[in-house]
Amino acid sequence: MDGFGSALSLENVLMAAVGALVGTFVGVLPGLGPTSAIAILLPLTGVLEPTQGIIMLAGIYYGAMYGGSTTAILLNIPGELSSVPTCLDGYPLAKKGKGGPALGISAIASFGAGVLGVIGLVFFAPILADQALKFGPPEYFALMLLALTLMVSLSGGSLIKSFLMGAFGYALALVGLGPSSGMPRFDYGVSQLMGGFDMISIIIGLFAVTEVLKGIEERRASAMITKPGSVYPGKEDLKKSAAPMLRGGLVGFFLGLLPGCSAAITAFLAYDLEKKVSRHPETFGKGAMEGVAAPEAANNATSSAGFIPLFSLGIPSSPPLAILLAGLMIYGLTPGPVLFEQHAPFVWTVIASMFVGNAMLLILNLPMVWVWVKLTRVPYGIMAPIILMFCTIGAYSVRNSMFDVLIAFLFGGLGFLFHKYKWPVVPLVLCFILGPLLEESFIQTMAMGAGDLSIVWNRPISLVLLIAAAALLVISILLNRRTNQRVKEARARGMDVA
Amino acid sequence: MKGYKQWSTVVMSFLMAVSVSACGADSPQAEQSAPKPAQTSPAEAAAPTPDYPTKQIEYIVPYSAGGGVDLVARATADYLSKEWGQPIVVVNKAGGGGAVGAEYALKQAKPDGYTALAVNVSNTTMLTAGMLNSPVKNEDQIYTTRIGKGTLAFAVKADAPWKDFAEFSQWVKVNPEQLTWTSVGPAGFSAFGVAEWLDAIGADFSKTRMIVTKGASDSVPKVAGGHAILAVHTVGEIMPMLQAGKVKILAVSGKERSPFLPDVPTAEESGMKGLTVFWWTGVSFAKGTPDYVVTKWQDAIAKMEKDPAFAKKLTDIQVESAYANREDFNQDVIRETEYYTELATKKNMRK
Repeated sequence: MDGFGSALSLENVLMAAVGALVGTFVGVLPGLGPTSAIAILLPLTGVLEPTQGIIMLAGIYYGAMYGGSTTAILLNIPGELSSVPTCLDGYPLAKKGKGGPALGISAIASFGAGVLGVIGLVFFAPILADQALKFGPPEYFALMLLALTLMVSLSGGSLIKSFLMGAFGYALALVGLGPSSGMPRFDYGVSQLMGGFDMISIIIGLFAVTEVLKGIEERRASAMITKPGSVYPGKEDLKKSAAPMLRGGLVGFFLGLLPGCSAAITAFLAYDLEKKVSRHPETFGKGAMEGVAAPEAANNATSSAGFIPLFSLGIPSSPPLAILLAGLMIYGLTPGPVLFEQHAPFVWTVIASMFVGNAMLLILNLPMVWVWVKLTRVPYGIMAPIILMFCTIGAYSVRNSMFDVLIAFLFGGLGFLFHKYKWPVVPLVLCFILGPLLEESFIQTMAMGAGDLSIVWNRPISLVLLIAAAALLVISILLNRRTNQRVKEARARGMDVA
Repeated sequence: MKGYKQWSTVVMSFLMAVSVSACGADSPQAEQSAPKPAQTSPAEAAAPTPDYPTKQIEYIVPYSAGGGVDLVARATADYLSKEWGQPIVVVNKAGGGGAVGAEYALKQAKPDGYTALAVNVSNTTMLTAGMLNSPVKNEDQIYTTRIGKGTLAFAVKADAPWKDFAEFSQWVKVNPEQLTWTSVGPAGFSAFGVAEWLDAIGADFSKTRMIVTKGASDSVPKVAGGHAILAVHTVGEIMPMLQAGKVKILAVSGKERSPFLPDVPTAEESGMKGLTVFWWTGVSFAKGTPDYVVTKWQDAIAKMEKDPAFAKKLTDIQVESAYANREDFNQDVIRETEYYTELATKKNMRK
């Protein structure tokens, strides 16, 4: 409780606010995510007191998680990988003129899940961190298989197209140094290819650049098609989203405890879960409010949950947290249970400030949403080059390399073709992210079992995950059929369904 | 509504400012012509040394931010920026196990002293030893100064049955096929540490199993969770889990105990001679970089190592000061390369 006292001191509140604002801002820019923002601002820690420095960096982290959703909904540009699922329904909602409520729901979901995550952090930090250690390579392998069943439900109709795109995504991920051998693969003697394709530049290409190309083709007068409406969601939207928020938050929180389980993965899983439990799965992808609430809650809960293994064991579960860990180290604060003992005031102040920061995000962002909404009303002729400029900066900033910018534009062109011929790009992105993780955990599992794969089903946690994966696969295929059937019926009734 | 309009103007102008400065950060290097590389003919050597630095220096860290190499480079950049009054910007170019950034700094950038490279044992001697045709070699660079080092520690699960390093080594000698150890790859830092140790105790390296991980933050939890038996990392990398009581350290390599772990015996005290692998980091310049640049860095770093604020920074990240000037650094690197190449060839690690 002392933590709250010091968290509410003027400078600390100010730092939380600055962090949240800067975070939201960088989250909005495609590519310039929390990782680069924290890295850029890390030198500032030399000037600030430890507590203030870490409060600010943490604020940037969860602020960016939120910021990514704004452009995802309004412009179909996911600033962050974890906002990709938000695009799927957020953008159709914006097209329907419900962009405002979608943003409101996303802000509330982020806030709710963020708070949930911090409460979890307070109560479970020492206990849960222990459980995370039980997740070894076989468990990750099973978990990745589970996540890959998403391919089916993200297929957007054709399973074959979805699998082909997935295979293409994995092939792209293969380029670069192999995770086990350390040997270059498919680099064709080009030194940039040795480092592999960067995920962010491909995402920027497939989503942001493609969107601009689409806009140009449609000769859009403005990026916004209709008015977004009020940002304060109506009762019905709130009612519809409450359960998805809670489910998304829980999925995000518990999976977020696992190192290596990124916000992107949990957001995808939460989206999929909602689609499965929904009575109207056919509305997903065409503007379902639940499809915004669940992944937004999940990605924010994951970001908060990530602090648990970080503070209690010193395990950073995502790249931005790894840099935050560096920030802690610079101050001589080595994370671990010792941190809770020796630097208790610091830890509790930072944790309390996360409540403050989350509240700040909600207060700042609901009114601020208008600023972003305004932005989308700027004539497209002006918007398009600005978006492209951000894409360029974003792609460049990841590795400070022009090669990535080139890749972003190349994939922009490809994404446009995919869109024209109705090939789903989400399976590509999913396999690009999960493929290498699956491969790595598979090789680790094989090494652990001395070439015997049976340890995957001989360990309780991984066995449960495997059974869940199999069950999900069957359910997904059945649901997918049902959805296709309904789409067909709707078409027969003369509805315009993409 | 009018308020919103103003707001959006403010935000837009802020966006523009940020983007302009982001673009601007890149251009000065392209615009300004580089100072002429000093030819080392005797006549010119007598000429007064040019001013250096006169503009921003890029300090390439070939790994992502937050690791040991990165933290030492940032502390160094911080000190030198103040010392010289010119910004030294740390740029992370990760990929290819440190080869991508090294190739950029040593082969693509101009050898004018305005691109420095943070080197360490993994992307120099071990890379050369582990690969038949490594993308960057000792000949490509001028090893300028070594800055810090880290002692190697052998960590196992906290409740592992072995009470000391000798007992553990005996067990491994009898059951090599049961030993799993973590490394970033077949020619990674940990692999050399394990190979050297197994060689010293006469255990069969080829029967043990390597579990490939992304690095210490990934591998130490695997040992703590019982998914792998041994992790070999620097003391600093193991510290959080050690303090959490999840792992125990059986021994450290080298001749002296680690200042951060005064109670942990060295391998030599446990009766194993010749464990020499250690982690180090320093700074390199591309071949052809003028001598005055190299000397200036070397002298400034020598002064920096005596600075108490810098020393504290190193202690905080559990890195030991290990200054070596250009000559000593070079000799050490050449000796180390030979030794590692021999070790890698013997253990069939060279690919």
